[in-house]
Amino acid sequence: MKRERGLPNHPGSRPLYVLITLLTIIETVTIIAQAVHLATAISSLFEGATLSSQVPRIILFFMMFMVRHLITFVKRSFTQRHATKTATMLRKTLLERVERLGQAYISKEGTGKTVTLAIEGIQDIENYLHITIPRMFQAVIVPAGVAIYVWTVHHTSAYILVGVIPVVIIFMILLGLAAQKLADKQYESYRLLSNHFIDSLKGLETLTFLGQSKQHGTKIAKVSKQYRQATMRTLRMAFSSSFALDFFTSLAIAFVAVGLGFNLIEGTMPLLPALTVLILAPEYFLPIRQVGMDYHATLDGQIALREVEQLIQQGETVPFTENPAEEIAWNEEKSISFSNISVAIDEQDVLNSVQFSFHGPGIVGLVGPSGSGKTSLLHTLAGSLQPYAGNIAIGRQKVSHLHRDDWLKQIAYIPQRPYIFPMSIADNIRFYAPEATNEDVKKVIAQIGLEPFVSSLKYGMNEQIGEGGRTLSGGQEQRIAIARAMLSDRSVILLDEPTAHLDIETEYELKEVMVQLFADKLVFFATHRMHWLQQMDHLLMLDHGSIVESGTYEELRAKESGAFHTLTKTMQQRRERL
Amino acid sequence: MNTWVFPYIKQFKTRIILSLLIGLLGLGSGAMLLFVSGYLISSSALRPENIMAVYVPIVAVRAFSIGRALFTYVEKLMSHDIVLRMLEKMRNTLYDHLEPQAISLQEKYQSGDLLRMLSDDIEHLQDFYLRTIFPSIFGLVLYAIICIIFGVFNWMFGLFILLLFGVIVFLIPYLSLVRMRKQHEQMKQVDGELYSNVTDAFFGITDLKASGRANEVINETSSIDARRSKLVAVLDRFHLGRDVCIQLTIGIGIIAVLFWTAYSSGEGQFAPTFIAAFTLMIFSVTEAFVPISPAVEEVPMYQDAVRRIEKIEYDGDASEDPIPEIAPTDHVHIEADHVTFQYKQTTGPAIQNVSLTIPQGKKIALLGKSGAGKSTLMQLIAGILTPSQGAITMNNMPYTKDVLSKQIAVLNQKPHLFSTTIANNIRIGRPDATDEEVERAADQAQLTPLIESLPKGIHTNMLELGERFSGGEQQRIAFARVLLQDTPVLIVDEATIGLDPLTEYDLMDTILEATKDKTIIWITHHLAGAAVMDEVVFLEDGTITMQGTHQELMENDPKYKRLYEMDQVF
Repeated sequence: MKRERGLPNHPGSRPLYVLITLLTIIETVTIIAQAVHLATAISSLFEGATLSSQVPRIILFFMMFMVRHLITFVKRSFTQRHATKTATMLRKTLLERVERLGQAYISKEGTGKTVTLAIEGIQDIENYLHITIPRMFQAVIVPAGVAIYVWTVHHTSAYILVGVIPVVIIFMILLGLAAQKLADKQYESYRLLSNHFIDSLKGLETLTFLGQSKQHGTKIAKVSKQYRQATMRTLRMAFSSSFALDFFTSLAIAFVAVGLGFNLIEGTMPLLPALTVLILAPEYFLPIRQVGMDYHATLDGQIALREVEQLIQQGETVPFTENPAEEIAWNEEKSISFSNISVAIDEQDVLNSVQFSFHGPGIVGLVGPSGSGKTSLLHTLAGSLQPYAGNIAIGRQKVSHLHRDDWLKQIAYIPQRPYIFPMSIADNIRFYAPEATNEDVKKVIAQIGLEPFVSSLKYGMNEQIGEGGRTLSGGQEQRIAIARAMLSDRSVILLDEPTAHLDIETEYELKEVMVQLFADKLVFFATHRMHWLQQMDHLLMLDHGSIVESGTYEELRAKESGAFHTLTKTMQQRRERL
Repeated sequence: MNTWVFPYIKQFKTRIILSLLIGLLGLGSGAMLLFVSGYLISSSALRPENIMAVYVPIVAVRAFSIGRALFTYVEKLMSHDIVLRMLEKMRNTLYDHLEPQAISLQEKYQSGDLLRMLSDDIEHLQDFYLRTIFPSIFGLVLYAIICIIFGVFNWMFGLFILLLFGVIVFLIPYLSLVRMRKQHEQMKQVDGELYSNVTDAFFGITDLKASGRANEVINETSSIDARRSKLVAVLDRFHLGRDVCIQLTIGIGIIAVLFWTAYSSGEGQFAPTFIAAFTLMIFSVTEAFVPISPAVEEVPMYQDAVRRIEKIEYDGDASEDPIPEIAPTDHVHIEADHVTFQYKQTTGPAIQNVSLTIPQGKKIALLGKSGAGKSTLMQLIAGILTPSQGAITMNNMPYTKDVLSKQIAVLNQKPHLFSTTIANNIRIGRPDATDEEVERAADQAQLTPLIESLPKGIHTNMLELGERFSGGEQQRIAFARVLLQDTPVLIVDEATIGLDPLTEYDLMDTILEATKDKTIIWITHHLAGAAVMDEVVFLEDGTITMQGTHQELMENDPKYKRLYEMDQVF
């Protein structure tokens, strides 16, 4: 996993960095002042001064102590505010870009992964900005300031403090490399072990049907144990680098103390500077130790930041015509034609010189095995994929892609599993036409045969559906999608295997409803279900991203060879073989 | 908390106490490092004649410095080891709770999100120990020790320290928990809204774009984010105030210790060398008190996780009479006699008065709309559910799901392929099967061409090729698994759904070819292959509405004829 190095740059981050630098410098000054005042008080008391004579010193110490912590907290608030603002901004941009990239991108990347990036990924970035950035400043400025001050007081101590840093770094690098090597070596088995439990839970139903679920319990125990052992092996290495850090910093403090002690015995220095140095020694190491603490937060944040920025960049490459000079509009008198359309996803061709033309309203069927390009063709028609070659003509107007507002307003898309928004049935149905009245919605509900179902519900068409509401069957979801398309009265309808997972009775009932919807519209219909083919006005046979045959159902049936003939022939053979 | 936190602490109490002791040694070494350092340089400042006078502190300083690093390292390893041991036990317990209710859970929570969430919840409980419980205990114990030490010297000063640091150890954590609980609840709610809004935006992307309403969702997300920022600001302000109070208390504590040591040394209670020692030490000790408040503030988050896990706990219905096991046999006759079944907490029965005779070797196609009761009937036949009324018998004996893998095998609708090799996936059907048997099953499922095309053959990991296995290939692997069980009865639950028609026919052909003498109950959503079955059964609202051979139904039932003709174009 690659990650972005260096300081992240977002709106408002530069002034923030300047502010943090200034505050950290002040913080360093207060840390030193606090040590000096405390050491002065202690050494005076040690030498027999009265308590009351030291009260002003102690008050000064207390003030410095409080100012120092106040600065730390104020700094934290500033970075928090900046981190939250940046996270909000990034999330908004990410959403806009994903929206621009469209369905094709989401299908490729997976909805779950994209949601995770938008929610958890951005939270990781927020934590990273909030926690790591101020610590990075602190780890540079505070030790530097403290070391310089210590040098002015006692050279040897300063040399010890500074000298230990390269030793720590070398050890941490060596141990870190060893840990990394170990982690790499067992990464595969480690991942299998750590995923085993969730994999088992997901497969629990299958295990039950296989009659193996009881026995599998012992396997979980075994694998969990292996997981623990593997994790501990890695941790022993991983923690050793923080051990090295702790070890050398503690040892350095001890050496400083002993060195100061010798000088004191020799009489080469008084108690006050010695005590000051001793108080400052832990302060010197504290910010360095803190940077090491949230290493994972840093790593996760950097990786997420990179991914989000890549996505945002990718989104910028997608053309989008919001206010086209010349509107394109399909109507019953116009034809739609693709000439030499080629489309690629990740530089792999999914459509290859696709060419067809269809005039007026009617149903164009897309037929072909899985992976033949049916869905890609529909995505191109819906604008979410843009061809790298060829052009599309609506009537006489030629465009290079259909990712444009005016076209989107003419289409309705019905996938295999339509998305039901978490709102009422009525609002789901009038999703494309929010201005539609309850009467209109009622009429459509009756048309699509949802009336008996809706009237059986407590709140009728105001019943909540979707996530957190009532769950619908596949057939009911499909009816909602059809109702949406009907009410919106869009002139172009795209369907991607809308009945593939429905039982035949439901499909039979839906077929009648859908044919109603299709009247006078331009319909592109991808399906595996052969009985639909008779309803189609034109068939496009696809294979490996190309149109291998086209024509009306009758024309193709009449042929003695070709893709369609082979398909029907094979189907017949297979059926007879059963 | 009672079942998912405390018992585990009890179970591992020896290890926990040991790791706490070592952790305390680490913290103590850190404190003593500064204590002795302070003492050392104070003593040195008195310029003793002989270096031997400070020899012990010199050695002690080095020892404590090594001790601090070493004990901290050992403690970190031990606490992680304890937590991983707990995780191990918790996973087993969770599995034992989930196992008996696997099927009903799957139906209730289709997405599998629940399972992922439960698995995550258990992982979160690890953090609860590492980030809340252990640091809090360290802080408390160190607090007690400090109070006792000062108390031994002077009970009044001990009491003062007890009260003063009690503010950081008890009062502020308590206030954090109580005052911020509401904000954390709101935060969770806002996070939930954010999540569902983003989910809407991505799942519904095509509808949103086409309806021109994409901006609505984006703006809605921004407004939720704005509310979230406000909450973050509220929490941040509270934390600012809280942390200032904590540091104020610590500052007062340091000054109090300085005053007390100076006063006591003036009184001659101990040497002035201890002024620096005690004052430096208290710096280090108070560091252990700071994490308590943030740790305690997180408690409500873990409560949620615990609550979710507790909800799925299975109390078990062990009251059932034990049912004698069916003797192993190749000849199975299943008889459903006026079976009615009703789920708990539902109004109507899911299956009503269904009778079926399934002699060995019969092939039945079971059809019906979703919700008609197909799955329920299937689970009744598989012995997973027990009829509310009527009886299902196998060779005239009642039976339970113990018959699965022995007399009845089920190829379920979405068989899970585990992230292991093809061979292991097949072997899950019968763990004691030999390599030859696994290969034979793969061959019968007609996987041989696929396996031969893979470089690692049958030992290819499912993850390596992951999504490159097509739907048909995945179903074949699942089928090989079932074939390995070699049961007289096979139930196929919509195994061909979503496949293209050629793949579908091929798979059906493979299945029927490999199971010639077996009883088959084939739940299907359309009529491909109905003609080769011995009986076709239609379910509607839990009752059988159509039943007969394909020929009979074609002749007598116009609805069946209409459906069949729609399905068979060529």
